Amino acid sequence: MILKKLTWAAASAAFGVLLVVQFVPTERTNPPAQGTLAAPPQIEGTFRRACYDCHSNETHWPWYSRIAPLSWLIVHDVTLGRKEVNFSEWGSYYPATRRRKLEWIGRALHEANMPPWSYRLMHPDARLTEADRAALERWIDSALATTSIERSSK
Amino acid sequence: MRHRLDSMGRVKYFTRAIGTIAILAAAVPTFAADVHAEDGVRELRFENHRFAPQTLTVPAGQALTVRVVNTDKETIEFESFKLNREKAVSPGETITVHLPALSPGSYDFYDDFHQDVPEGAIVVK
Repeated sequence: MILKKLTWAAASAAFGVLLVVQFVPTERTNPPAQGTLAAPPQIEGTFRRACYDCHSNETHWPWYSRIAPLSWLIVHDVTLGRKEVNFSEWGSYYPATRRRKLEWIGRALHEANMPPWSYRLMHPDARLTEADRAALERWIDSALATTSIERSSK
Repeated sequence: MRHRLDSMGRVKYFTRAIGTIAILAAAVPTFAADVHAEDGVRELRFENHRFAPQTLTVPAGQALTVRVVNTDKETIEFESFKLNREKAVSPGETITVHLPALSPGSYDFYDDFHQDVPEGAIVVK
């Protein structure tokens, strides 16, 4: 009896909280681009398919990004993703920054930890095949060979 | 021998189980901290939009702990590709970066959230 009552109370409280948090505003923005990544169409297409939702200003905000607390998690992930690498701001990066970003992207591809499983779960088309990864890694290697290694120290 | 628990018994049982889990969870970070207690500890401060000192010179072959203290009003990300580390540091926060024994060389680090911040280096000799 006590357990039943406790369960009901907890469920009601959880429902109430869930209802209230829907009114907490979240910012789902897509600011204008500042010079995108210059890559062959196939490479750019793969980046768009697998990375752009979190790593660009061209995020496709899904319907569930309007439902708290999921919306908070998604907005948080996109904000952090854009801070890490933002393909829409590629043109504003210093050459040394571009180089670092490319190195990290290469490592993430090599270790197969991007896109994250939680994202792939809802976006199966974002999965990268071995061929996709190999093509991206080859392109990154060639881009690193030509990218200026100018330092950002001032 | 099987015990049949009444409602109160179940509540007590779950309370004890949760208490045990909480104690174990609290003990894990303590144990982890002890593991690193003997490492060399160096402090790196982020103030006035730059790292200070900009160069940390450390001996080779010794594990190292770097405490990154962010005294500025913006979130930074302590990052190093060579060290394979990236960690965001909120204003006023201190993070701890544990590094294994390093080979002699220079390992650059930077604030990945602000590309105008001069990069620093851990020089291992």
